Amino acid sequence: MAMRDLVSGAAACGDSSSSSSNPLASLANALIGSSSKTQERLKEIPTSTPTDPASQFYSTALPANQLPGSEFDKPLLNLNSQASEFLHRFRGSTGLEETWDEIQRDGAAAQMRQLPPGIQQPPLDGTPQRVLSNILHSFLDSSRGGVPFHPAPLPMLGLSEGDKQCIRDRSSIMARHLFVDKSEEFIDAQVNALLCSLDIDSSVRGKGPMPERFRELEDYWNESQGNLRLGPPAPDGWISEFSQQREKYDNPDSWANSFEQQYGANGWVSEFEHSQLSSVDQMRGMNMSNFAAREQTRMLANTLAQNGDPKFQNSKFLQFVSKMSRGELIIDDNQVKENALPASGDWATEYNQQYNHGHAWAGEFLNDKVYHGPDQWANEFTSEGRQHDAVDDQWVNEFSKLKVNDWADEFGQQFGEGALGDSTSDSWAQAYDEFLNEQVAAKQQLDSSRGVYVFSDLNPYVGHPNPLKEGQDLFRKGLLSEAVLALEAEVLKNPENAEGWRLLGIAHAENDDDQQAIAAMMRAQEANPTNLEVLLALGVSHTNELEQTAALKYLYGWLRHHPKYGTLAPPEMADSLYYADVARLFNEAAELSPDDADVHIVLGVMYNLSREYDKAIASFERALKLKPQDYSLWNKLGATQANSVQSADAIMAYQQALDLKPNYVRAWANMGISYANQGMYDESIRYYVRALAMNPKAENAWQYLRISLSCASRNDMLEACDSRNLDLLQKEFPLQ
Amino acid sequence: MADSSSNLKSDAIMEQMKQHLATDSGKQVTKKIGLVYQIQIAPKKLGIDEVVYTVDLRKGEVTKGPYEGGKPDASFSFKDEDFVKVALGKMNPQIAFMRGAMKIKGSLSAAQKFTPDIFPKPSKL
Repeated sequence: MAMRDLVSGAAACGDSSSSSSNPLASLANALIGSSSKTQERLKEIPTSTPTDPASQFYSTALPANQLPGSEFDKPLLNLNSQASEFLHRFRGSTGLEETWDEIQRDGAAAQMRQLPPGIQQPPLDGTPQRVLSNILHSFLDSSRGGVPFHPAPLPMLGLSEGDKQCIRDRSSIMARHLFVDKSEEFIDAQVNALLCSLDIDSSVRGKGPMPERFRELEDYWNESQGNLRLGPPAPDGWISEFSQQREKYDNPDSWANSFEQQYGANGWVSEFEHSQLSSVDQMRGMNMSNFAAREQTRMLANTLAQNGDPKFQNSKFLQFVSKMSRGELIIDDNQVKENALPASGDWATEYNQQYNHGHAWAGEFLNDKVYHGPDQWANEFTSEGRQHDAVDDQWVNEFSKLKVNDWADEFGQQFGEGALGDSTSDSWAQAYDEFLNEQVAAKQQLDSSRGVYVFSDLNPYVGHPNPLKEGQDLFRKGLLSEAVLALEAEVLKNPENAEGWRLLGIAHAENDDDQQAIAAMMRAQEANPTNLEVLLALGVSHTNELEQTAALKYLYGWLRHHPKYGTLAPPEMADSLYYADVARLFNEAAELSPDDADVHIVLGVMYNLSREYDKAIASFERALKLKPQDYSLWNKLGATQANSVQSADAIMAYQQALDLKPNYVRAWANMGISYANQGMYDESIRYYVRALAMNPKAENAWQYLRISLSCASRNDMLEACDSRNLDLLQKEFPLQ
Repeated sequence: MADSSSNLKSDAIMEQMKQHLATDSGKQVTKKIGLVYQIQIAPKKLGIDEVVYTVDLRKGEVTKGPYEGGKPDASFSFKDEDFVKVALGKMNPQIAFMRGAMKIKGSLSAAQKFTPDIFPKPSKL
C-alpha cells in the first residue's frame, strides 16, 4: 500500500504538470530540473523571448496571475527562486491552482438541465464546483459500499480540455487503488462511467503535437528524456504498476516518459541535486540553518522509520531522507558536501501527508488543498519531543535505581568486612526487598491509623435484615471472623449501636487484633460513655499495647462509673492519674466486695500494668473461683503467668481457655508465644499456624511465626510464611 | 517492685527480658550471643531525653544505665515505638537502620547479631 500511495503522490505531481494548459510553461518547468547542460542552454533563451511574437500569444492566452510567485518573462534569471520553483512543482499546488481558477471563471456559464423524476442522484444543487465534488465523492463511495457506479446526466460544468485530462488521468490511477481486488473489466467500467457522466472522452490523447514554432524546444525536451532513461532502473513495484495501465493509453511512450521523469530514482535525485546546485550562493553562510535542517531531517527520518511496512522501509525516499539526516549526501560534482535545503521539511512532510491521506484526492482536487508543511512538521516535532521526554524519564528512573543498588552494595561491603563474609550481601539484598515490601505495607497501615476502624471489603451480610442477631449467634458458635462481618453490617446500618460496636471489639480482641479492637471499642464508648464492659475492654487492650497512661485512664473510668464503687473515686482525680492512687482505690473496692469477680478482674489488669505479676496472678485466681467458666479469664491468668516467665503454668491455663472455647485465636497465639519463649520453636510454629488458620489477619502471629521458623532453621518455609501460604504451612506443621 | 513512674513501652520489654535471661532459654541466648549491647531509648525524638539500658549477654543481666565495664560491643539508639517494633519482630533491624529509625555505634558484626529472637514476646490478656 505504501508503494501505491507513493505512486499516487508522484502521479499527482505529474498530472498537475501535464494539466497545465500553457505548453511553454510546462516545458520550461520540466527543463529546469533537467541536466546542467540543458539548463546552460536555456540561459540563452531569455534574450530572444521579448522580440518573439509568441509573447503576444502568452499574454493574451493566460492572465498574469496564472503563475503566482513567478514572472514568466524572466523565469531563468532569478536563480534564488529555483528551489522555490522546484518545491512548488513538486507539491503540485501550482497546477491545482490553475485548475481551480479556471473552474471558478467558467462557473458563471454553467446551466442546469431538468432531470427525470424518481432517479436517485447525488445532490446537484449549487455551483458547478459542488456538483463536481459530489459526483467525485460518490465515485469514491461506490468503492466502499461495493455498489457499482452508474453514469448520471449532469449539467454542463464547463470543464476545459486540461481539466478533463487531469480528471481522466487521476481517476484512472485512483480507480486501480480503490478497486485493487476487482477485475480489470470492472475497473474499466467504473472509470468509463465516471468519465461518461462528466462528458469526458476516455480516448482523447493527453498531449498533442507541439506547434511548429517550438520545434527547437522540443529537441531539448527529447534530449532531457534521453538522459533520464539512462538512470538506474525503477523499483519492480513501479514497473508492475505501470504495466497494468500500459494498454490504456494510445501514446504509451509519452506516458512512460512523463511518469519516469517524475518517479525514476535518477530523475528526482537529479532534480534535487540541481536545485541544490542552483542554491549554492543562497546557502553560503547559512551553516546554522543547515545544521537545524539536518536535525529536523533526522527526526523526520526517525518518525518515518517507525513505519513497519517493508515496502516503505525499502523505499528510495526513506533512504534518501536517512542519508540527508546523516549528512552522507554528496553532490556528484563535489561542489556541495553534506548540504540540505532549509525547506526540506516542507516537501518531506508533504510526502508523509500523501502517504497518510491517499484517499483524499477528490477533496484535494476540488478544494485546491494547500499543504501546511511547516505546521505539519512542527506538530510532528512536538510529538517527537514528547517521546524524548519519556526517554528522559526512563533514564532518570534507571539512574535512580542504579544509585540505590550501589548504595546497598556499598553498605553490604562494610558489613562484609566483619566476620560474616560473603553472605552479608545476600542478607542485605533480602533486607532491601523486605524494605520495599514494608514500605507498601506502611502505606496501607497509614489508612488504618490508630482509632480508625477499617471495614472489610465485600461483606456478604450487608443488607441482612437483622445482622446484630446473626452476629451474636455466630459469636456464640465461635465463628469469630464471620461474626465480625455480621457485626460490621450492623454498625454500618446503625452507627450509634453501642452493643454492636462492643461485640465487634470483643470479637477482634479474641481474634488477636488489638488495633481493630481498640478502634471498635472507642466507637462503642462514644455511643455509650458509661458502659463498664467497654471501659474494661479498652483498659485491657491498651495494656496489651503497653500504653500505660491510656490503660490507666479507662480502668479508672470503670471504677468511677460503677454504680457501687463510683463514690470511692473523687472526680477531680481524673485529671492527673497516678498508678498508686488508683491501685489504692481498687483495693478499697475489693475489700468492700470480696465476692465481686469483676473487681478482682480489673485489679488483676492493674497489677499487670504495674508488672506486679504475683499480685495479678492472685487476683485472677480469686476471680476464677467465682467464675470458673470464663474462658477470657483463663487466658488472662495464662498471659500473666507467661509475662512473669512462668510459661509452663501459662500453657495449662491457656489449655483451660481453649477447652471452653476452641476457636479462641488469642489463646492459640499465646500458646505459640509461650513455647517460643521457652526456646521450643518447633512446637510454637504449630500453634502459630493453627491461630492463623482461624484468623489469617492476625498480624502478630505472622511476625512471630517468621521468627520461630528462622530460629528452628526452617528457612525453607520462610517463603510460604511471607506469601501467607496457609495450606502449605498447615500440611507441613500439623497440630495433633 | 518495679519503677512504675516510667511511661516507656520499652521498659516492659526490658523487665521481661531481665526475667527471661534467668530461664533456661535465656541462658541459651547468652551462650549464643555473648555480647554486650547498650540501648538508648528516646520517648519521642531520637537523641532527646534518652533512657539507657545495658543488655549484658555475657553475664545474662539487664540493667538501667550505661555499661560500666568498658565499651559495649555495639550501641543502638531508638525511639520508644521503634524499639518495641524491632523487639517484637514487627520491623527488621536492617530496615530500621535504612529508614533512620535506628542508629548504630561500635562493631557492625556485633550489630548484625541484634535480632528479634533475643527478646521474649509479651502475651496478651
